Amino acid sequence: MPPVETVVQQAPDTDGPVISVRGLRKRYRDLEAVRGLDFDIRRGEIFGLIGPDGAGKTTIFHILGGVMEPTAGQVAVVGRKPADARSEIGYLTQQFSLNLDLSVDENLSYTAGLRRVPEPMVSERRRRYLKLMGLDAFGSRLAGQLSGGMKQKLALCCALMSRPQVLLLDEPTTGVDPVSRREFWDVLAGIAHEGMTIAVATPYLDEAERCDRVALVHEGAIRQIGTPVELRERLGLHRLEVRTSDLGRLEQALAPGGSVESAEIADVQPFGDRLDVLVADSERGERYLQSIAASAGIGALRIDRDEPTLENVFVLNLRKEGLGTTAYKPFAFSGPALGPSRKTSAIAASKLSKQFGEFQAVKGVSLQIGYGEIYGLLGANGAGKTTTIKMICGLLQPSSGEMMLAGETQRMRSPALRQRIGYMSQKFTLYDDLTILQNLEFYCGVYQVPMGLRKERINWVLSTCQLVGREGMITGLLPGGWKQRLSFGASVMHEPEILFLDEPTSGVDPIARRQLWNMIRDFARHGTAILVTTHFLEEAENCHRLGLMAAGELVAQGSPSEIKKAQPGQLIVLVTSDTQRSSDLLKTKLESWRVAIFADKLHVVLDEPERQLPALVSLLSENGIQVRSQMAGSFSLEDAFIGLVQRRGGVQS
Amino acid sequence: MNRVAVQCIKELRQFVRDRLSVALAFGLPALSMLLYGFATRLEIKNIPLVVQNLDNSALSRSFIERLYTNEQFVPVRCPGGDLVKTVLNRGIAEAVVIIPPEFARKLRAGLPSPVEALIDGTDVNNARVIKNSIIATTNSFLDIEGLSPFRPLIHPQVRLWFNPGRKESLFVVPGAFGIVLLIYPALLCALAMARETEQGTILQIYASSLTASEFILGKVAAYVIVGIAETLLVLLIGFVVFHLSVAGDALLFTLGTLLYLIDACLYGLMIAVGAKTQNAAVQAVAFGGFTPALLLSGYLYPVRNIRYPFNLVADFVPARYYIELSRDTFVRGAGWAGQWFVPVFLTLVGLLLFRIARKRLGRMQISA
Repeated sequence: MPPVETVVQQAPDTDGPVISVRGLRKRYRDLEAVRGLDFDIRRGEIFGLIGPDGAGKTTIFHILGGVMEPTAGQVAVVGRKPADARSEIGYLTQQFSLNLDLSVDENLSYTAGLRRVPEPMVSERRRRYLKLMGLDAFGSRLAGQLSGGMKQKLALCCALMSRPQVLLLDEPTTGVDPVSRREFWDVLAGIAHEGMTIAVATPYLDEAERCDRVALVHEGAIRQIGTPVELRERLGLHRLEVRTSDLGRLEQALAPGGSVESAEIADVQPFGDRLDVLVADSERGERYLQSIAASAGIGALRIDRDEPTLENVFVLNLRKEGLGTTAYKPFAFSGPALGPSRKTSAIAASKLSKQFGEFQAVKGVSLQIGYGEIYGLLGANGAGKTTTIKMICGLLQPSSGEMMLAGETQRMRSPALRQRIGYMSQKFTLYDDLTILQNLEFYCGVYQVPMGLRKERINWVLSTCQLVGREGMITGLLPGGWKQRLSFGASVMHEPEILFLDEPTSGVDPIARRQLWNMIRDFARHGTAILVTTHFLEEAENCHRLGLMAAGELVAQGSPSEIKKAQPGQLIVLVTSDTQRSSDLLKTKLESWRVAIFADKLHVVLDEPERQLPALVSLLSENGIQVRSQMAGSFSLEDAFIGLVQRRGGVQS
Repeated sequence: MNRVAVQCIKELRQFVRDRLSVALAFGLPALSMLLYGFATRLEIKNIPLVVQNLDNSALSRSFIERLYTNEQFVPVRCPGGDLVKTVLNRGIAEAVVIIPPEFARKLRAGLPSPVEALIDGTDVNNARVIKNSIIATTNSFLDIEGLSPFRPLIHPQVRLWFNPGRKESLFVVPGAFGIVLLIYPALLCALAMARETEQGTILQIYASSLTASEFILGKVAAYVIVGIAETLLVLLIGFVVFHLSVAGDALLFTLGTLLYLIDACLYGLMIAVGAKTQNAAVQAVAFGGFTPALLLSGYLYPVRNIRYPFNLVADFVPARYYIELSRDTFVRGAGWAGQWFVPVFLTLVGLLLFRIARKRLGRMQISA
């Protein structure tokens, strides 16, 4: 990413906060969405708003952006009422803020005209920002034909055209692939460094790590506010990553209501191949876990210590509010457990390929998924995930290769086979204009759930979604997280042997996400084979095994830990006296994906740290930058993914 | 650059980009013009008529001949039996004329002889035309045969002004302009407005401090330009296909049309401000715009025929005034002297619609 020239002209009042909010309230007809907010945002700060669905984040942005009147309270943006400061605000709304039927250039001219940018400056800024976002080759392409990531970058360009002092970004990276997501945040870090003040809402807590300060919002009020480091420290807990060959038994032993109850353990979160345990004291916690393992007859545990994630902060804080604490009611399976004992694979694909005219969408993909296994298929948009899934489901005839689904190799669309399969898609599972009950009854009918079981199954879905008594509600009115759990329920009522989940937690807050994964794991334990597609890497940690797709090929397979381990290189976390300049300097020596700014830290991925690091550190000190600390960090799955994709020549747009 | 122009250029770009919308914007008005022009026929011709002649004399046959001389009636074969039941009930003919026995003898003797006419009254208008026509034919028959007992002292000499040939297209086509130039510009403008709401781009406009007036004027300007292009197209069809010619004041017509297009676009926009989807906007415009324009504008029948209280509504339907102007321009030709109130009224309506639209857009904020 090229360095940014000065973006923001300094306003006269450089000392006071750029955004100041006091006693902000907003009441809709019968709902108080915002209940007394107080906060300040300083110049050049990236301020993150995180919170579950329906916490009031979008309302706050509407008010800050001057497009909605607050019910009470004082809000000042650059010292003025938001409506009067609109020329100083760039606002990316949650829906695409672009005119999709206009080209990239036309969108920019339109915004520039609306915001009265003088003509000579328009072309200069257009050139600079398009280059900054890597869109300079697409000036005449229609906005509607850009990928999700490029759309959001263009929207950001539009917002920057009038050189506002403040940027408001409402979930700017939903539906954006990991590589573009990281590039987007690199741009944000750059313009914040130039003095732009940025407020951003995000459901992704790994993004919140890149904010200077974060506010945790729940039910229209701020519960926690501070730097990511402060929030973690305030939690006062440590995170232990526990790995063992017999994860299931350990999880059962630690489960609430299981054989052990202890004040030592604050939280247990199961992932695909590890358990995350939050403890007050690492030393005592480790000893305690080992003793439980010993008494349960599990061998020695491998335990890695780490700091808690922001997601831990988020979930534990909201749990204090009573969110997400409801006991999960297990599904009453009527059939026998399928179990991993079954020898045959549930899904087996061998050298699947698909050719669309000249374009080879999928190239020789082979994978096996056993009963009881959760398999994650990852990849950016256009990597070939959807085509692969369609072939596996039998919706699309492969150009070559063989397929086996639930023991069948022919007639993949036969009603009998479809009866054994469940499918939950990102958007289209439920009818928005039917009531919750009508939707569930419809799916019971479609999948021929036996009459005697229907009532019980519907009640199960309602109670796990905490919707008992609200079954008459119109489905379209439910917030995203609830809808996703409901669609999951609707797609499993017939006890499928194989379950396809397409982006099951896209746009869902961490609490709802955890509840959904509890349900998914329950089915896997019973023996259901589960195939999940996602481009959200945090989600992938929940899978037993992963397949990474890039440019139509399966480029890596294995458990999350294996994939991370298989990546060459190491993540180095640097703290320097000038983060932005360090990043700019390092990018002159390294490919830009290897360097990312996380608030006051730099994440650098090096293949041979022993050899490379000293040279880089001296490069920084030669330029007058002091390196305050350098340490090895743990590779996230996203780091691994981005590395893999970039080494293979980047994502296609 | 002026922000009204910015908004207008953006609208036109979006309009031109969508090939389908361009095709519809010009295809539908052209098609509607042809449909209205050729399919609307108010004159009643070729009415099936059965005559039962019980007299069978030279005189009665000459009477029958006279009934069929102009193209108003056509003979149909009578199946026999009970005439009323078979002919009228089954719809074989719309009228039956029965000439009684002794018809010729009574007339020659100077005695009255009734001729029975049975008319299907299902279509009231039709029935009235048939009745008048039979009476008129009878009177002229008496005149010509010299059977009239007295000589009429008053003899009306009728001359049709403005449309001496009674060409129906001269009545229908200028009226159709009023329908077509209202509906399509209003629809396009409503769709453009509802699209902003549906796709959420309206929030960017709110966030940009564009005023409601600038927003409205920009959008309306764009679709008035499209409307002008549509006007040229339908006028061309009028001149070439339906042989219209300008009888009145072209300048007045141009002014009136411009105002009418502005009203139409403002109307579409005003309706669509409250619509959440493009679909809802289309329905609102179709019901609120098309129906009154068709029924309350005098397009098919005179406005004075409309009953209370709907005649009050009709007084506020812009299509009514525009159709009047259009008919004056292409048929009557009175010009300013007779039509000065049309531009005045259309301007007032425009101002009113603009105010309502601005009020509905509110302070360019999300209303909660």
